[in-house]
Amino acid sequence: MAAPELDSDVLIVGSGASGAAAAWSLSRRGLRVTCLEQGRWVEPSDYAHSRPDYELARQTTFAKDPNVRGWAEDYPINNSGTPIFPLMVNAVGGSTVHWSGHFPRMRPSDFRVRTLDGVADDWPFTYWDLEPYYDLNDSMVGVSGLAGDPGNPPRSPRQTPPLAFDAGCEAYLRGLEKLGWHWWPCDNALISEPFGENRSPCNCCGPCDIGCPIGAMSSAHVTYWPKALAQGVQLITHARVEQITVDRAGRATGALYYDDQGVRRSHTAGVVVMAANGVGTPRLLLNSTSARFPNGLANNSGVVGAYLMFHPVAFVSGVFEEVVNGQRGPIGGLMNCQEFYETDLARGFVRGFELQLSRSVGPLSVANGGILGHPVPWGSAHHEALRSRYAHTMTTSVMLEDLPEPENRVTLDPELTDAHGIPAPLIEYRAGENTQRMLEFSIARARELFEAAGAVEILVDPLVQESGWHLMGTCRMGDDPERSVINGWGQAHECPNLFVIDGSTFTTSAAVNPTSTIQAVALRCADWLGRNYREVAA
Amino acid sequence: MTPRILSPEELGLLTMVQDELVPAHGDLSAAGTLGAAQTVDAYLAERPQLRHPVLTALRAVEVIAGGTPFVELDSERRVDVLRRVECADPESFSELVKQTYNAYYTRPDVQASLGIDGPPQPVGFELPAFDESRLARVRGMGKLWRDA
Repeated sequence: MAAPELDSDVLIVGSGASGAAAAWSLSRRGLRVTCLEQGRWVEPSDYAHSRPDYELARQTTFAKDPNVRGWAEDYPINNSGTPIFPLMVNAVGGSTVHWSGHFPRMRPSDFRVRTLDGVADDWPFTYWDLEPYYDLNDSMVGVSGLAGDPGNPPRSPRQTPPLAFDAGCEAYLRGLEKLGWHWWPCDNALISEPFGENRSPCNCCGPCDIGCPIGAMSSAHVTYWPKALAQGVQLITHARVEQITVDRAGRATGALYYDDQGVRRSHTAGVVVMAANGVGTPRLLLNSTSARFPNGLANNSGVVGAYLMFHPVAFVSGVFEEVVNGQRGPIGGLMNCQEFYETDLARGFVRGFELQLSRSVGPLSVANGGILGHPVPWGSAHHEALRSRYAHTMTTSVMLEDLPEPENRVTLDPELTDAHGIPAPLIEYRAGENTQRMLEFSIARARELFEAAGAVEILVDPLVQESGWHLMGTCRMGDDPERSVINGWGQAHECPNLFVIDGSTFTTSAAVNPTSTIQAVALRCADWLGRNYREVAA
Repeated sequence: MTPRILSPEELGLLTMVQDELVPAHGDLSAAGTLGAAQTVDAYLAERPQLRHPVLTALRAVEVIAGGTPFVELDSERRVDVLRRVECADPESFSELVKQTYNAYYTRPDVQASLGIDGPPQPVGFELPAFDESRLARVRGMGKLWRDA
């Protein structure tokens, strides 16, 4: 263990999907672990689901964009240079507090993009290296779904059966069967039957995106954190980290943070683990300048913050004559169509995409534009238009693989700061040419699906502004210190007792939701760190 | 109840505007008559960032209506005024519409007219379980992923 004068053996910054998993894994080995979280615990009374105005939460207390939500725990983000806005939650459990819970795994080819398709870079490990940690993570959080998908490698039995299959699913199925395309019920971090302690199975209430008041959603604050705390992890909330500190030799020594009273404090540790995700982690590393690291910690290569990847998303909605009640049941996570996932150069682009066949929203959100940003018209035509869409609409997310490009990046804003004077992140991003070609093709396929399914109206948002749920690549993994920040164990090339384990580690983005991979990577890195702690911290 | 942000005159104008935005339907009165203006006034008190666009749109209504007060116009001419406000300042007007929808569709009586019995929790919905037999064709597609 570390020297007794240190406050902790391991200091983790961020309590979301990756930080929670690592805290559990490291504390299981007897290490003294502290986690600094700038947010707080979300309390049962915070959820709006039992109120008739619950849909307002999407615009206010549970808005996904921190610039809109404006919690005291949030930090501002300068989005002026990006068509896609980063979305996140600053709370215990991070962005898993309110999300749709899609929990797919990446495919083996996703880890070998350079080798197979000649673009981007390979990850420093394979799918098969990560597979045991996918399984471990699933067993910890609880996943609904079904093994046997021919679109993916065989996997262990899911903890609970697939989610409900109702009229909207039948509508999708009409189109899929007519076209002969692949589909499979999604893996979801959402339990359909009893699993774990103090959690209830999903009762299909609908708006997962404003949180889950019954613990059905496998969010980090109901899965890993109770176990990590029971193992002795110290979780300090309302702790806003300003910078990671280093000694003269360039080794991390801990962090400076502001506590809940605004007092600046120091916490020392033998190892620092960054788990603040694809915007928060590079922001803090870039703000951690020193004589040894004048451009930010572990950033003499200039790669910290670069290669930002989102998953560019288009929403395509189909309006049906029949009632499909898309507002009932989990908003996401019905079925995935991975017919176009692997590279086929005849399509005019490399890599691929998936169609996430999802549900819809309640009447207020429909009136205000639904998921799509197409508001129902006001005036004499209002009621008829509202009633033609509400309960008659299903929405598909077209999710594309985003290739890493160094120009897409997170830097520090020269003027904008948070409430503690810490520089805010500035996001610079544009969708690349390959992405734009893929976007056009994929929207056409989603239209084709809805036409085959018999939709009477099809609405399209071709690039959703509020879709930066997946923040990846800004402290990327790799074997080459000139093109990556960390190695395959999450260890910084330039600072051996600094680790990064969150979405920023992704070498490439794949075309699936990242959280199951984020947590599997975090568990793999934490496992290695736990086994090698003495050498790393020495 | 005394409005918190709007003047009584503004509250009255907003009520008339909302009656055109979301007219009566079936047994339900129009949005303004149902009290949506008072609810929007409460939103403005709670969320100061909404005041500028909503008040800007509201003031534009009287300006564009010209010398004739909005209250004295018939419904057809009121709608015409609102269309012109929408063209002149779409951003502010859309916020006014959005807050009107917010106030209207969060009412239990309006939700009941759409067949909604209550909020999503604690009851939720009972939906059919997944039927694995539906996967027969897909299971026969064979391996679709590349090993690497």
